[in-house]
Amino acid sequence: MATKTSHSAASLPAVPRHSAWVFPAFFVLALVILVVVLTQLFGHAGGTGAFSPPNAMIGAIVPVSVAAIVAALIPSRQGYRVRLALALIAALFAIFVTRLWPNALNVQAAATSDAPTTPTTLAEMPTLLSWLIGLPMAGAIAILFLPRQTPRLLKATTFVIMIATLFAAMPLLRVDMGRTYHFNQDVVWIERFGIHYHVALDGISLWLVVLTVFITPIATYVSFGSIDKRIKDWCFSLLLLESAMIGSFVALDLFLFYVFWELMLIPMYVMIGVWGGTNRIKSALKFFLYTMTGSLLMLAAILYAGYTYGQLTGTSSFDYFEVGRIAFPMHVQKWLYWGFAISFFIKVPMFPVHTWLPDAHTEAPTAGSIILAAVMLKMGTYGYLRFCMGLFPEAASQYAPTLASVAVLGGILYGALCAWRQDDVKRLVAYSSVAHLGYVMLGLFAATASSIEGSVLQMVNHGITTGALFLLVGVIYDRRHTRLLDDFGGLAKVMPVYAALFVIASMASVGLPGTNGFVGEFLIIIGTFVSNKLGHVNGVQAVLAAIGVILAALYMLTAIQKMFFGPITRAENKHVTDINAREVLAVAPLMIAIFVIGLAPNLLLSQMHGAVSRVIDDMTARVRESTPPFEGPIKLLPRSANAPKPPIPITNAAEAIATTPGATAQ
Amino acid sequence: MAFAFAFLLSPLLVVAGGALLLMLAEAFTSKRGRGDHGDRASGLALGTTVVFAAGFAFSLGVWLGDIEAVAGADALAPWIVIDRFTIFFDGILCLGGAITSLIAGGYLPEHKLDRGEFYSLLLLSTVGAMMLAAAGDLLTVLLGLETMSIGAYAMTAFRHTSKRSAEGALKYFLLGSFASALLLYGFALLYGATGHTDLAGIGEVVKVGGTHSPMIVVALVLVLVGLAFKISAVPFHMWTPDAYEGAPTPATTYMASVVKAGGFAMLLRVLFTCFGDKASMSWSAGWPPMLAWIAVITMTVANLIAGQQESVKRMLAYSSIAHAGYLLIGVVGAMHSMPQASATVLFYLLTYMVSTAGAFGSLVLCGSRGMEAVSYEDLAGIGRRHPPAALAFSLFLISLAGIPPTAGFFGKWFVFRAAIDSGFYALTIIAFMNSVVAAYYYLRVLVFMYMREPAAGMTTSVPMRSGYVTAALLLSAILVLLLGIAPSQSLDMAIKAASIFGSS
Repeated sequence: MATKTSHSAASLPAVPRHSAWVFPAFFVLALVILVVVLTQLFGHAGGTGAFSPPNAMIGAIVPVSVAAIVAALIPSRQGYRVRLALALIAALFAIFVTRLWPNALNVQAAATSDAPTTPTTLAEMPTLLSWLIGLPMAGAIAILFLPRQTPRLLKATTFVIMIATLFAAMPLLRVDMGRTYHFNQDVVWIERFGIHYHVALDGISLWLVVLTVFITPIATYVSFGSIDKRIKDWCFSLLLLESAMIGSFVALDLFLFYVFWELMLIPMYVMIGVWGGTNRIKSALKFFLYTMTGSLLMLAAILYAGYTYGQLTGTSSFDYFEVGRIAFPMHVQKWLYWGFAISFFIKVPMFPVHTWLPDAHTEAPTAGSIILAAVMLKMGTYGYLRFCMGLFPEAASQYAPTLASVAVLGGILYGALCAWRQDDVKRLVAYSSVAHLGYVMLGLFAATASSIEGSVLQMVNHGITTGALFLLVGVIYDRRHTRLLDDFGGLAKVMPVYAALFVIASMASVGLPGTNGFVGEFLIIIGTFVSNKLGHVNGVQAVLAAIGVILAALYMLTAIQKMFFGPITRAENKHVTDINAREVLAVAPLMIAIFVIGLAPNLLLSQMHGAVSRVIDDMTARVRESTPPFEGPIKLLPRSANAPKPPIPITNAAEAIATTPGATAQ
Repeated sequence: MAFAFAFLLSPLLVVAGGALLLMLAEAFTSKRGRGDHGDRASGLALGTTVVFAAGFAFSLGVWLGDIEAVAGADALAPWIVIDRFTIFFDGILCLGGAITSLIAGGYLPEHKLDRGEFYSLLLLSTVGAMMLAAAGDLLTVLLGLETMSIGAYAMTAFRHTSKRSAEGALKYFLLGSFASALLLYGFALLYGATGHTDLAGIGEVVKVGGTHSPMIVVALVLVLVGLAFKISAVPFHMWTPDAYEGAPTPATTYMASVVKAGGFAMLLRVLFTCFGDKASMSWSAGWPPMLAWIAVITMTVANLIAGQQESVKRMLAYSSIAHAGYLLIGVVGAMHSMPQASATVLFYLLTYMVSTAGAFGSLVLCGSRGMEAVSYEDLAGIGRRHPPAALAFSLFLISLAGIPPTAGFFGKWFVFRAAIDSGFYALTIIAFMNSVVAAYYYLRVLVFMYMREPAAGMTTSVPMRSGYVTAALLLSAILVLLLGIAPSQSLDMAIKAASIFGSS
């Protein structure tokens, strides 16, 4: 509360100084441009085509500073603090883009003699992923020991830890992912059952981890404005949740994955149940029981897979790559596949098990909704891609055509139509999530390179866009304490900035070219259209999916129309304050990300190519091997060439749990 | 030789000796402290805990010493068998006893029940349970069982002014005696059929004669019913909710942890030694189908009823019944993979014991004199008013629900794994579905603690302050987390302990 007032106090005198800000800034900008021009001229004067070190440095600084200055100039009514923070955010993004740009300059530089050290040569720190999991976890434990009466200290600690985690994750981006796994760490955890602590990262999980560490601080920051009770519990839940989410994206031991998967449940359950809306307890329980049902089926499948591995080799293992070696006969595999798949479908959520999602979203606090939509739903899609398609490719490809139809009809179209009929904005966004994740699932079922890349990209996109939408819905809810579309109207007049941001986020959600949503959906639809894995209806499915885009425009534009345009019909709406500094700062990174991904999707896609082609190659190899459907005795395939090497040959730790004579499949 | 034997028997002797000493100490100290001042009796609680800790330490010592190599270990065989199974149970029974006595140390003075008999009963009853774990003869089985049970009856009736306590104790006593009688009848028939009273001898005869002798079949059924009574499996569970609810909470803790563990020790020993042959353990001709059905009914009925309860204590009672069902899955799983499956039972018992003892302890901590936490409503808002108690309670409930990374999760994991290894897919699926149901009612407590506020004008429970209970919770919480994160060691111990049954 104290920060809010200080901001508004600072922003009042800032308005008259508006012009005073602009001119020096433009002066600096002009100066920078001059410097750029000069360096360009003199840099090429040598005629070698290479840049001298100072030139390269300036070349690196210029875009960053330009971005920073532009960002500082954009907000018209904010104080210098906000401008500074925005400049910082923009500068970080600029660094991110320039560093990741798969550019020609780098190639050129590498061709010449004094090549700067390329990112690929950086040594990988094998424990980095454990740090990413451990930092928030340690933070959560530390929070327990901080006094309850000091909300500012608690908030600051939480936020600092999250930012530290964000920066700790940056080295992940500097590694060329390629087809293999990186940052591999494999430690024996429970020897007797062959359970390992095995974490590693590839081009697919990379972006989900980055998404997690990116979204969580934003959600946390925005929540500090609206959560005012039981801060300690709140901070604890957030940190624990972040740790568990990162953990489940990088876990490559089925058991470890399950542990993290379940660990996510409790904090989210508490977040919905304690800080949620009026119907929160029912929604929280619904969320919990749905997910728990699914995850227990998955646990059964994990147990069976581990048991089969034990039968085959005499040693016990739950390692992803080891279990992936088992070629299950089809009649067994389909059960295992469904055990995993149902659990993931519930989490995604796919029609018809999506019914927990609107309730959970509607009742969850803003930050809870953001994290739930942006990251936790991706557990389902990521899990399907990694585990269902990776471990049970035959079953996955057998059911793909049917499930793709379910994704199109039940997800994309039905979700969109439901969204259209909602009168609660948050429910609308929740149903739009069902539709968007329908695209993601469709792309996974289609299983072509572009559709899977599109799906992974769309996972990130959906996280950013829907995160932004939930955040903005939270903003209006904090002011008006209602989310019903009919209670709004004409808000663009009183909150212009807010309206602009909302429209941008909605357009990204619809998939307007230039925004991130377009790239993802486009890739998915293209990939579906050329897919040969969906029977003969893939054309129809692609067309229906494209129609889904139109429906998305329909419901989003209807909502925007009802909220922002037309006359102000209600007296309460006449004096709504526009978006405040905290909210601007929270939503700014998301807005920038929308355009960065929309205009330069290759930043993300280039890191995915290898991993996605690996997934497809593995899958096609397995499926080709097993046509007609493999019904034979269970056998063990050779270990995948892309799998990281096991740390030590697994000892006969599991002798005591060795195979038993009487235990055969019934 | 006498020394070796004393060494092997030391956990039991320490606890028994400690019980006698404390009884003397209680009798010979002045009576002045009786009544409102709780100092002396609290000293007894500390003493009891120390005795249990010593018992635990001695079990650990015996475990680490090479039991198999000690000469004269079979001096009292077949009456008392000292093997790793016994020692493992000695350890966990002492652990359960220690947690119980710590909880009692806080609970009894708070509720003006502070009389020294409780601790003597607690110790001697635990001696009975330890004897039960060691019993290798029908005679000692009954001796241990009655020693354990009578102590538990008396502790249940400890709050003699309360009608519910008396009612619960009477039910417990009558049905318990009934079960003992059935068991005794079964034992008599067994003796008649085989001419042996020692379990191993009976096992030999049963192995040769098979289960075709009708007398043995009848005896088996009677023994199973008696055992099912003792571990409170459905449909022989009727006494449990009333006894658990009526008893003072430390006594409930004792019943849910030590008595249950003792019952399972007896069940494993009697079943696997007497009826451990191929024929008796086969699906077509033996006890496994019967036990599997009991397991299914126990889990399902108990979980469904537990979801309906308004009293948290009663809910925990039904949950303890449901956990007996999960445990029975492990026992049934032993049909195919004997040592592994029974090891999971031992490990599950350990995890269940610390979790449930912790849960009852948290319930004690959440209430105080006259304002005991009984119903869900009593717990409303505890999460805000008394965060440490609520946090501890949540941890134990999460563990009971079997959510990682807690002990309960590993317990379930190992039991279900053993069931899948043995090919009991349907049984496992039913158990999984039961876990979902169970999650519902455990979470309901969390809902009330964290998400509800007490209704206006309602009397709320006021958490008590007690170092004893806090210590008990701390101990259980550490164990719950330790077993949940690093279960390897204790699991190895359980497997070693179960290996005495050999492979079928």
